[in-house]
Amino acid sequence: MHLTLVGLSHKTAPVEIREKLTFPAHRQEEALSLLLSTPDVAEAVVLSTCNRTEIYAVTVAGSDGPGAIVDFLADYHDLDRHELVRYLYFSEGEAVVRHLFRVVASLDSMVIGEAQILGQVKEAYEYAFANDSAGRIFNKLFRQSFEVGKRVRSETDIGESAVSISYAAVELAKKVFDNLEGRTVLILGAGKMSELTAKHLVSNGVKTVLVANRTYERAEELACRFCGLAIRYDELFERMREADIVISSTAATHYVVTKDKVAAAMRSRKGQPLFLIDIAVPRDIDPDINDLDDVFLYDIDDLSGVVESNLEERMREARRAEEIIAEEMVAFERWIESMEVVPTVAAIRAKAEQVRSAELEKALKRLGGLSEKELKTIDALTTSIVNKMLHGPTARLKMVAGEKDGYTYVETARFLYGLDANPEGRATHAGLIKSLFGRAERAADKSTQNEMGDTIGC
Amino acid sequence: MEQAAVVSFWFAMALYLVATVLYSYHFVAKRPVFSWYATFATGAGFLAHTASIGLHWGATGETPITGSFNSLSLTAWTLVLIYFVVEHLVKLKLYGAVLVPLAFLAMATGQVLLGSESFELGEAAISQLDSWRVGMHVALIMIANASFAVGAAASGVYLLQGAQLKKHKTSALMKRLPSLTQTQMLARRAIMLAYPLYTAGMLLGIVRAIEFDLNWWFDPRVMMSGVVWAIYGSYLLLHYRRGASGKLLARLALVGLVAVIVLAIIARTVPTGFHIFGL
Repeated sequence: MHLTLVGLSHKTAPVEIREKLTFPAHRQEEALSLLLSTPDVAEAVVLSTCNRTEIYAVTVAGSDGPGAIVDFLADYHDLDRHELVRYLYFSEGEAVVRHLFRVVASLDSMVIGEAQILGQVKEAYEYAFANDSAGRIFNKLFRQSFEVGKRVRSETDIGESAVSISYAAVELAKKVFDNLEGRTVLILGAGKMSELTAKHLVSNGVKTVLVANRTYERAEELACRFCGLAIRYDELFERMREADIVISSTAATHYVVTKDKVAAAMRSRKGQPLFLIDIAVPRDIDPDINDLDDVFLYDIDDLSGVVESNLEERMREARRAEEIIAEEMVAFERWIESMEVVPTVAAIRAKAEQVRSAELEKALKRLGGLSEKELKTIDALTTSIVNKMLHGPTARLKMVAGEKDGYTYVETARFLYGLDANPEGRATHAGLIKSLFGRAERAADKSTQNEMGDTIGC
Repeated sequence: MEQAAVVSFWFAMALYLVATVLYSYHFVAKRPVFSWYATFATGAGFLAHTASIGLHWGATGETPITGSFNSLSLTAWTLVLIYFVVEHLVKLKLYGAVLVPLAFLAMATGQVLLGSESFELGEAAISQLDSWRVGMHVALIMIANASFAVGAAASGVYLLQGAQLKKHKTSALMKRLPSLTQTQMLARRAIMLAYPLYTAGMLLGIVRAIEFDLNWWFDPRVMMSGVVWAIYGSYLLLHYRRGASGKLLARLALVGLVAVIVLAIIARTVPTGFHIFGL
């Protein structure tokens, strides 16, 4: 059994290629069933988003898993195989686990820390599960990957900081007001950027939108889009008392909002904070306003600075996410080890030997006075019985373990014999890990991957 | 039993210290598991603390309101209790990193004062204490003090977050701290709850004091409590009548807490007035 990944993403393929290789929801069932009809593929999950198409598969040991998947992709989308390979990346074994965990943690996304990818991977897995193409290994792998996604989002700040100007404004507003539900925003000027920011604020719960513009008709037009209220330009400072957030983007060449006017408006706000966003260049709002108590003013440079520092922070948080991924990979490896046939057989034998020794000791106590020769004979007899009883099952277990779904036999044996722990530790286990993670064959695979233009690590 | 009380007391202090470290680590590293451990350590500390107060009372017969050690220990106990209410209401563990160490400090101060304090209650003092009014007076003042501490903690957070927002630079601190309106609301509600309790507690104490001493006001702790009352009264007045700025109110809440600390610790050590039983 091998873990295999074949895919392409925004990092390796332009949109013209990506759009040709999508698997929309209504075609997933068909695609999965075609994939599983290939004798080389035991389990499969197809992840298809606007930025990536990836096929995760458990392929049969000794087969050309990546080749089979490339054939499937080329046939399914009616593309030239050699042309297609130029855009694909291939991973096998441990690298697949790492890649999936990085994808779910959104470390491989176009915008690091974006939240949608976790849901998209969940959806892909659910399709596979519903179509019986996710078996024991993928059930464990994908569920653990969701755990990775959750941990990364809850234990790091990777997705918490806004990376666009308008979202940065919303994020800052939430740091002032906590909840934007029921708040009032005053838009000064009818620029595109202020409209976009207001749109984000409204989608975050802002209730009332007031629009002031030198041309009243334009104010009405914009207010209409938000079911808001247009106000006369000369009423601006009077209505500012009602506003919690002010967005300004007029074409004025001087300060439209001055410190004394805002100070006067603040007096009737009874200590309620006022958040001002000045997106205009040249600026509309006197920067000295920021010195007033309870007034927080951000201009376009401040917001850009916030975005920049947020991006840097996401990169820092990405390093913490990598640590979480490393921890989860160890956990997955442990699970794989527990599915290992060699330690399972050893554990069965150890358990049988434990039972034999205990029973023999009890019997010898009852018999008493036996000669050395008789003791040896009884010992050999019981050992022989145990060995003969175990030989058949363990030999057959070893035989089927390497086959498709062989790990289910191992798991059943562990269940039947009540083996809850691996008695031999990790070092001696080789078979399934080697098989799934492809460690023994990595060196051999490397040359193939290079030939295929591998881009592992994205 | 007394030994068990001492062991429980030190055990509670150790657990509060552990909780402080865990709350702080959770705040810095954002590890949910540590916040759970922190709450667990605080809860375990609180149980040990409760046991310590009960055992000490049982063993010595000293009510938990007599002497610096007892009253500071009870103040710390009330503070932790109030913190649990706050944690439940605002679902924020941040205040654990402020209020639990404050409780720890109150206990540590009580322990320090225990060594330097020696007083014997005379019959007159015992008869003064023998009234439901005194018990209510102490209970109300302690709950009020704990709430004032919550108000001050929230105000401190408000000032910190306000300064971050004024600087125009996002930082991990800014992201971890709650919003201005949330901290402001917590501070106001805590002080709003505390003020009538404090007033009622003061009035009960005054009524009891008048029964015994006509110069009741000539006591450093009574005078200081008048200052505390005036500070928090101004806070509420400035907020509700004048609509004062959040920054001014937050500073006032912190000044109020300083006055409470002066009253609870420093005024206690002045050897004059009728508060000779360490209330």
